[in-house]
Amino acid sequence: MTKKLLNYIWLLGAYVRLNLSSEYEYRAAFWSQVIAMIINDCCWLAFWILFFQRFPVLNEWKINDVITLWAVVAGGFGLAHGFFGNAISLAGIISRGGLDSWMCYPRALLPHLLLGKTHVTSWGDAFFGIVAYLVLIHPDLYHFTLFLFLLLTVAVTFVGFSILSGSLGFFVGNAEVLSEQLRFALVSFSTYPPGLFDGVVKLVLYTLIPAAFVGYLPVEALRTLSLTDAALCLVGASFILTVGATVFSIGLRRYESGNLTEMRG
Amino acid sequence: MNAVEVKELRKTFELCTGKAFNRTKKLVEAVNGISLNVPAGQSVAFIGPNGAGKSTTIKILTGILRPTSGSVQVLGLEPWSRRSQLAREIGVVFGQRSQLWYHLPPDDTFELLARIYDLSKSEFRARRDMLVERFKLESFLKTPVRKLSLGQRMRAEIAASLLHGPRLIFLDEPTIGLDVVARQELRDLIREWNRNEGVTVFLTSHDAGDIEAVAERVVVVNHGRIVLDDSVLNMRRDYLSSKIISVVFHERPIDKYLPGVKLLKAEEYSRTFEVDTRVIRIPDVINEVLQFAPVADVSIEAPPLEEVIAHIYGQAAPCVVAS
Amino acid sequence: MRFLRKYWFIGLLAARSNLVYLAEVYSRILFMTVILYIFLRLWQAVYTACGTDRLAGLTLQEMLWYLTITEAIMLSAPRVSAQVDEDVRTGAITGKLVRPLCYPVAIMSANLGERTIRFALNFIAGSIVTFLLVGPLHVSFYGLLALAVALPLAFVIDFLSCFMVGLAAFWLEDTTGVYLIYSRMSMMLGGMLLPLELFPEWLQQIVKVLPFPNVVYGPAHIFLKPDLHEMLGLISRQCCCAAGLSLIIAMMWHLALRRVFSNGG
Repeated sequence: MTKKLLNYIWLLGAYVRLNLSSEYEYRAAFWSQVIAMIINDCCWLAFWILFFQRFPVLNEWKINDVITLWAVVAGGFGLAHGFFGNAISLAGIISRGGLDSWMCYPRALLPHLLLGKTHVTSWGDAFFGIVAYLVLIHPDLYHFTLFLFLLLTVAVTFVGFSILSGSLGFFVGNAEVLSEQLRFALVSFSTYPPGLFDGVVKLVLYTLIPAAFVGYLPVEALRTLSLTDAALCLVGASFILTVGATVFSIGLRRYESGNLTEMRG
Repeated sequence: MNAVEVKELRKTFELCTGKAFNRTKKLVEAVNGISLNVPAGQSVAFIGPNGAGKSTTIKILTGILRPTSGSVQVLGLEPWSRRSQLAREIGVVFGQRSQLWYHLPPDDTFELLARIYDLSKSEFRARRDMLVERFKLESFLKTPVRKLSLGQRMRAEIAASLLHGPRLIFLDEPTIGLDVVARQELRDLIREWNRNEGVTVFLTSHDAGDIEAVAERVVVVNHGRIVLDDSVLNMRRDYLSSKIISVVFHERPIDKYLPGVKLLKAEEYSRTFEVDTRVIRIPDVINEVLQFAPVADVSIEAPPLEEVIAHIYGQAAPCVVAS
Repeated sequence: MRFLRKYWFIGLLAARSNLVYLAEVYSRILFMTVILYIFLRLWQAVYTACGTDRLAGLTLQEMLWYLTITEAIMLSAPRVSAQVDEDVRTGAITGKLVRPLCYPVAIMSANLGERTIRFALNFIAGSIVTFLLVGPLHVSFYGLLALAVALPLAFVIDFLSCFMVGLAAFWLEDTTGVYLIYSRMSMMLGGMLLPLELFPEWLQQIVKVLPFPNVVYGPAHIFLKPDLHEMLGLISRQCCCAAGLSLIIAMMWHLALRRVFSNGG
């Protein structure tokens, strides 16, 4: 088991190296995409700084909490799709019949497939998240260690959710737009102070669109150094990943039975 | 021992037509009772028109699709339930879909494949060096794939699929889009690999030349059934026996009757003949033609496979020929 | 007249081809729902916290309508720069030069046609959502009139800026980064998320001389608070801006053409 896991980490290393050197063939494009994403994130941060200058407290949240929120969400999203870039294109890959070539390799289909590509701008997000947290929040070692751990759980949540939304491609004719919208909703909801939402919407944010696990709970964990919240993040992340992987494997059976091939014509 | 054993293979797709409430489901039989044994080490050409069930069969044999009924053993394994294990033993080349990384040199892809297939360092080096030498990849091993010619790319592509030492290799339209020289090179390599390494080759192609050069045996499918299963030798005798010779002369040629040669077209300085190679050998025809007048140019072509296949369909009513 | 009709036709064609995507409407509504719901909750919290019913002269209801318009403007931008960039790189631009059309004017017609439809789609989707969230907006005749003049000018300015970014492909290896920076700037400094009045004093002074508010804040604000004096000011600023940009583009265009003809593309 451990050996197998190590083996996959080894493979992950190989893919990351190849992905990055492949994108790096076009240096200017690579850097301008990464830097543009960093600037994009900085713009949002600037918005919040302007906002909190005018209105210093918002539902008990201060500017530092929003900076932490952005650091966690951007960093987690960045790591997730920097390493597992194909998670974003999953719906498209399925609807174009792109699983075939991945099925000819002697590897577990889903993890191997996700590794296949990097999402370049995500590296900008990851960089932004970590640097913003270090520079603007000045965490102590304990906070920073917890932050890194939470980045991992957030990344796992994002990957799980991307798998889940992408796997809709097995069931709906062309799920590309739908899966994009779902991912957009997750990112949008998770980048605003969670105190804004209550009632049914709050329930949704803990379940269907798990924004609480990528935004609210990690920030709470860092704010109050609550290990319970951190543990909750881990549980939520594992749960979402499990659901995503399960839906994918159910969908794959449809794919293998060829129910999809005819739709593609 | 058989590399591939297929018994009574069937695959039915549900085809939905119409929209919303008018949706009707129709069953389409893509593969309709194919039985086929391929002994280890054989090279088989698997051909048929588009939609004949070729690619469905290959997808089942590689474990991508599950059949509706029938039994399949590829290298002793049931493909769909043992896909991962089987993947270590087979190689797959899709002429239209590359497994090489477009922006990186082939060498980088090889290294990644070594990881994917768990090759040890020494195993990988030995294997790669051998392939580099045999496929003559040395000169462009470090060049990004996007800068390679199509011929070089396909050579690297096939080498990549042989890296893990598969015992069976599926080649789907490997020579598509290649020029004559590159095509010939590739055919030689595939045949050599089949003969020397004993690798079983399962080839689909639209090019009659590929089939003649590479395969020992031809299986023709249409409407999900096998319509012809024969050795290439027989097929050549029966269907590929004619060649088209076009000659351009410097002067007006004198015309002479030759047995087995039919004049197709005659212009002032040129002639086109169809030659029945069962009756007369090509060199003999050329020798004779050289006597007609000083020759400016000669070309020899095989009739296109479409014609040959059409011919087969015309002759063979759907029946299964035992191998 | 025949001369103008040619461009009118190009615009019409681009508009029609965009109407085909009715599925777009669904996804726009979904998108707008998420965004506007979040904005509603955010500003509700702010108005409550401040204990006022007017911020920057706008009621909560008006604030949400303001954001609806600015979102619709920003989201309707077609990727002109990407198209021009590609035309430059593939050399298609030299092919287009020989046709009896002025390339920039032709591409602008197509752009404005596409943009009008996309704006309408976004605006309708946004209006439905906003109407359901906060109720109707009291629309004055002068407001509509002002919007009808200011909005096309805003689109022209935005087009010219994007065209300029695209033309930069003659000199730069990659322009997607530059485009992203431009679009983030107009988002932040144009007032998409915050009306300019809520900016700190020093920033307001800087932003006033930049082109961005003429595209986003200007039309939205004049629509909500029509005022003859402000209207004249806005239109003259927009015209100056458009003229200035045209001049820069003309210069770039001539320099670029010299490059094309001396290098043979």
